[in-house]
Amino acid sequence: MASIIDIKDECALHVRDFEFTYKGALAPSLKKVTMPIAKHSITALIGPSGCGKTTLLRSFNRMHDLYPGNTYAGEIEFEGRNILTPKEDLIHLRTKIGMIFQKPTAFPMSIFDNVAYGMRLQGIKNKTELNDRVEKALKDAAIWKEVSDRLKQDANGLSGGQQQRLCIARAIAVEPEVLLFDEPTSALDPISTQGIEKLVIELKERVSIIIVTHNMQQAARVSDYTGFMYLGELIELGQTEELFVTPKEKLTQEYITGKFG
Amino acid sequence: MTAVQKRIFINKLALIFSTLSAIIALAFLFWILGVLVMKGMSALNWNIFIYEGAPPGYMESGLKHALVGQLILVGLATGIGVPLGILAGTYLSEYGKNSRLAHTIRDISDIMMSAPSIVIGAFVYAVIVMPMGHFSAWAGAIALAIIMIPIILRTTDDMLQLVPGTLREAAFALGAPKYKVIKDVVYRGAKAGILTGVLLGIARVGGETAPLLFTSFNDNFFTTDLNAAMPSLTVTIFNYAISPYEDWQQLGWAAAFILSMFILGLNILGRVILFAGKRK
Amino acid sequence: MIDKIFFNLTRFSALLILVIVAWIFVVLFNHSLEAMRTFGLDFITQDEWAPNLDKFGAYAAILGSVISTTLAMLLAVPIAIGVAIFLSEIAHDKVKSFFGISVELLAAIPSVIYGMWGLFYFVPILRDIFGGMGIGLLAAGIVLAIMILPFMAAVTRDAMNTTPDILKESAYALGGTQWDVIKDVIIPYAKAGIIGSLILALGRAIGETMAVTFVMGNVHHVPGSILDPTTSIPVTLANEFTEADSSLYFSSLFGLALTLLVMSFVVIAIAKFYFLRKARRA
Repeated sequence: MASIIDIKDECALHVRDFEFTYKGALAPSLKKVTMPIAKHSITALIGPSGCGKTTLLRSFNRMHDLYPGNTYAGEIEFEGRNILTPKEDLIHLRTKIGMIFQKPTAFPMSIFDNVAYGMRLQGIKNKTELNDRVEKALKDAAIWKEVSDRLKQDANGLSGGQQQRLCIARAIAVEPEVLLFDEPTSALDPISTQGIEKLVIELKERVSIIIVTHNMQQAARVSDYTGFMYLGELIELGQTEELFVTPKEKLTQEYITGKFG
Repeated sequence: MTAVQKRIFINKLALIFSTLSAIIALAFLFWILGVLVMKGMSALNWNIFIYEGAPPGYMESGLKHALVGQLILVGLATGIGVPLGILAGTYLSEYGKNSRLAHTIRDISDIMMSAPSIVIGAFVYAVIVMPMGHFSAWAGAIALAIIMIPIILRTTDDMLQLVPGTLREAAFALGAPKYKVIKDVVYRGAKAGILTGVLLGIARVGGETAPLLFTSFNDNFFTTDLNAAMPSLTVTIFNYAISPYEDWQQLGWAAAFILSMFILGLNILGRVILFAGKRK
Repeated sequence: MIDKIFFNLTRFSALLILVIVAWIFVVLFNHSLEAMRTFGLDFITQDEWAPNLDKFGAYAAILGSVISTTLAMLLAVPIAIGVAIFLSEIAHDKVKSFFGISVELLAAIPSVIYGMWGLFYFVPILRDIFGGMGIGLLAAGIVLAIMILPFMAAVTRDAMNTTPDILKESAYALGGTQWDVIKDVIIPYAKAGIIGSLILALGRAIGETMAVTFVMGNVHHVPGSILDPTTSIPVTLANEFTEADSSLYFSSLFGLALTLLVMSFVVIAIAKFYFLRKARRA
């Protein structure tokens, strides 16, 4: 059976007996997943493609609700409540749990407006407050120096790595508690990837991070905890060094040594 | 009201407006369809297929002349337009490719696809009807063919380009000359797509009235003479509908119903073939 | 040998398109020369169209074309955008495919049937509401709007559907509502494609003959209100081409046809080569 580490520190999220079924599917894609997510740390999700890691990630901000017919069961606890109930306020939830995607997703607007977008959605209109918070977010995302003199320009003029950092700035500008990264460097070159990884590590001071990656080295480099998933189940969750050095499950060992993948 | 509540409220309004416009649009369209089916069905009877046109007030009047005329006109147009369209599309996809000439032809043909059909009628009037001195089925068919060529050209070009290049290379590697590669490999690979394009092209010109008004003109009697004015369903619908006679208007509805079924049938058939082709 | 014949056959067919288009312009131009020489600019600025006096001014017809298509666009554009939003963002899968197929099939119904419906079913309603004849600019604008609506909605929806899902999800992930995503992401992203689609529909509406011929009235005078009967270029051509009895009359009609062709060519070219090409590059 699965080997799940018991996290002593405070948890940002708690997944209990979570099941997820796609519309029209006969069997659930995620089966009885139970998993604590430590606060102010980075949890990586690894596993072969189709194992359900992205599906799990997209459950934390209820992204699956955009496509009707998908069903959840079990519980994901966040700020003392189960966020899977129908009465959960998704708009509020998504400002608390932000997301970064596989590809940079700069909106068709200026660099400034991209970062200000989430704040404007929350009704912040005050110019000085917007200016200050945009600047802070861009600084925190380590891109301020590159864009400070061209905030009014179209964001699509930036390079891929810059756009991805812009998206991170956009996500942290609304001051979320949790950030979800869905293979954030899969479309980037090695140097940009390095920059993003460094940034992710810096960010854990302020937010709890869950990162899905197909790259085991990346998980080993950035994360504090790693969860290995296989065929919709969480096989093992442990401290990253331990999981990669002395895995408790045979499947985990086979995967990290490259026997399948 | 907080900013977020306001956004949620505006969102609801927008979604209601959008759903409402969809309902309004469909209501109008189904109204038209409903009228067409009700009026058309009630006017439909066997006489329509047995008798040709007659003066208003005659019991023994039908649409045989217009039905046959329509088939002749569309058939001739297909005979002229489809080969030309397919050959031209073949040139673009297999020979011209990304050359400037090919792009110019694509662009001009694309514009032609949306050009006013009545202007094509005026053109054919000037170059065929005027020199010949009389209306003719040929003139009508040529006007329809001119409208059809850009449609067939476009789909042929698109569909042939979907055939993978490796397939062509494999055939060339066997020593086949280019025309054989195109005929035996490329056309075969794009068969379903081209057929769909042809059916949609026929459906498109089959509903055209404007280019026939002064090319094939109209006739209230049965004829198969290609060198004389020829009746068509579309022009007959127009003439009967604006006539003050109720029995002619009835026949107009029947003609409208038959024509619509014919065109919807071709459209559906085209989609089914494309869908079946894709599934394979 | 056969290879060469086949190649030349395809090239001939392809070049034929260019020849036909050029030929159309030349023929229409040559045949309208007489009217152009006789009337000069008066042809498009004068509204007196009196075949018995051999006086032909196309102003009323041009104005009728412009106003009826403008009216149609004013009515159809908001609804088409609403329908497109409904089809791409709101409707569930089953409703979506039902509406989607209906819209596409309705776009295939011959325009003569829209005109016939307008004459028998819609004009009486207008007559009851506004009095008068019922036929006129308003009737033409409405029937034209209904006729182009399916095409317009379908192409607008296609343009909206080019927005990548991941971009929309990003806006939802920041707490956006559906409308926020539509107005801040989808519409800005697909703007060029949407505008191009709408203009393309406009290009088709300008040249549409049969949907309006029934309900326009074919009266050559500048209308005092949108309830008045008037004429448009295609309506004049449809009604008078076979009645023309003098060479100047014919030449004036060819002048109208040329005007119409140029108008629609310009509009369609703008849609295709400016907006839709920009949309494809994005």
